[in-house]
Amino acid sequence: MLHISNLKKGFQRTGEIFLPVVSIDELVLEKSKMVAIHGESGSGKTTFLNLIAGLLVPDEGKIYLDGIALHELTESKRDFLRATSIGYIFQSFHLLQSCSALENLLIAMSFGGQANQAKAKEMLDLVGLKDRMSHKPGDMSVGQQQRVALARALINQPSLLLADEPTGNLDAQNAQNSLNLMKELCASTGASMMIVSHDPYVIHAFDHQVAWDDLNLVSKHQTCS
Amino acid sequence: MFMIRPGLSIVLFLALRGVRKHAFSSFLAIFTIAMAAGLFLSTWKINDETRRAFNHSSSGFDAVLGARGSKLQIILNSLFHIEASPGNLPWEQYEIIKNTKGVKEAYPIAVGDNYLGYRLVGTEPELLTHHEWKSGHLYEIQAGGRVFSPLAKEAVVGSFVAGKIGLQVGDQFHPYHGLNFKEENKHRDIYVVVGILEATGTPADRVIWVPIKGIQLMDGHDKSMSHSLSAVLLSLKGAAGFSLDMKYNKQGNVATMAWPVASTLSSFFDKFSWFQKVLELVAGMIAIVGALIIVLTLRSSMNERRREFAILRCLGASRQVISSVIVLQSLILACFGAFSGFLFQYIIHFFVSYIIRENTGVLMHDFSVGIMGAYVFGAVLLIGLASGVLPALQVYKAELSENLKQNT
Repeated sequence: MLHISNLKKGFQRTGEIFLPVVSIDELVLEKSKMVAIHGESGSGKTTFLNLIAGLLVPDEGKIYLDGIALHELTESKRDFLRATSIGYIFQSFHLLQSCSALENLLIAMSFGGQANQAKAKEMLDLVGLKDRMSHKPGDMSVGQQQRVALARALINQPSLLLADEPTGNLDAQNAQNSLNLMKELCASTGASMMIVSHDPYVIHAFDHQVAWDDLNLVSKHQTCS
Repeated sequence: MFMIRPGLSIVLFLALRGVRKHAFSSFLAIFTIAMAAGLFLSTWKINDETRRAFNHSSSGFDAVLGARGSKLQIILNSLFHIEASPGNLPWEQYEIIKNTKGVKEAYPIAVGDNYLGYRLVGTEPELLTHHEWKSGHLYEIQAGGRVFSPLAKEAVVGSFVAGKIGLQVGDQFHPYHGLNFKEENKHRDIYVVVGILEATGTPADRVIWVPIKGIQLMDGHDKSMSHSLSAVLLSLKGAAGFSLDMKYNKQGNVATMAWPVASTLSSFFDKFSWFQKVLELVAGMIAIVGALIIVLTLRSSMNERRREFAILRCLGASRQVISSVIVLQSLILACFGAFSGFLFQYIIHFFVSYIIRENTGVLMHDFSVGIMGAYVFGAVLLIGLASGVLPALQVYKAELSENLKQNT
């Protein structure tokens, strides 16, 4: 379960101007639940996901994942938690270009504990890439790359899957297939999923939807002003 | 397929990927490090081995009596058959030293002629039949040959010369006057090859041995030559060297006693020690260039891999893992450089040995680098480590959020 309270994050800009980006009173995501957060591009959604993933450190507030206080962990422990308990799908997939699909998964597995080739192959098979395991990302279609990213994000059986505009680079058909696959895999592994997108089509594919502007107090204040 | 296991394997995998991805600059770094290590090892090894080989190539003689002049010149001319003779000695000097107490063996030699650039050395046949050129080793004549007769125009050819110019038993040749071959200086005398020496790996292999009377009485030589010689090769007993050194070098003014051979040769090599230092300096500078190339390779690799490192961090790689990849990549380059350096040293040594053998007959067969190899390997690894630390620190300090911003 993910529990966030009083989370604040901002960035110091040039000229000593502090720019608040994220300010959330409370958010709870129960185990195995899926939520879609929708909002405008550039409004701080990615920063929010990076805070949950431990890639950024909050200025204030608390983040608990499965009872672990993420905000209190040292960087190396956050790294390990990210490798073992959090799967992250980026808009541009962030695949290792010099590595094959299989190697992309094995590398992710090695940071999470132990690389298991059979398991990695099974996962690639599951996302329909049985015949593309030794292909490098450059030799794959965008849809196939997205499936590698999904397989990599779920290979360590995380309790939380974060997805940042995961269908942003896909056509409608591939986006639909991809979303279905993500939901199926999360359901089968029991992982919770938080997806952020500005695409209404993506948002409507989820039962639970949250507007970023309702969630993020910074957006509210900005809207009010 | 590369099987990845956690820990060092993933670091090694990523480091090797870095080396492969930047193959050209990696090759350049390896080559430069190899040049530095190879040059340094060669300089040291060749100096060491040359001293050793020359000291073991004095053909079993302890001293040389020659005309008044440089000890080194006498030794180089008489034992190594390079350099010119400083002058001649009257035959009486040979008779005197031969019968001096403490002299075990004395063989007169006369030089001054050549055949196709290879020296003719006139001596007594006993030198080839009774003298041990190395403890327990007499000169041996190849099957079908024999030693020359003292009064005949006969020759025994060193194995190196025989191989080079194809002289065989029964062949005849005209000697040429002087130590260097000039077609117009041909003597009328005709010599017959009666034997080929078995190889010894000493300067004896690259000369043509003839009776001393043959040189003394060679057609066209000055009549005064008939009673003179170039030097006397000596084997001494006990402390005779000290007394002979006193008699000839400190109290006398007729001849020079070149003794002891080893320390005289050592002073010869010491004269070139500056050259060794220059080469070591060059090797050091090349090593610095190699280290710089490693740093540049890593930095350029880092710039290109910034995205890759950010992705790895996102996947859960710690700063330590990423930094270790950089350091290991540097160590891999250094390691390959060191091993290639050993190969490079062998190649240089091979060619230098060949040149020394061609010019002196001295055989340098020991190519091993011993403990110095381990020192150089360690030093190269240290260079690799030092080159990798700075870029690794840079990566270590880099904020993930900054790299993410550049890549998302």
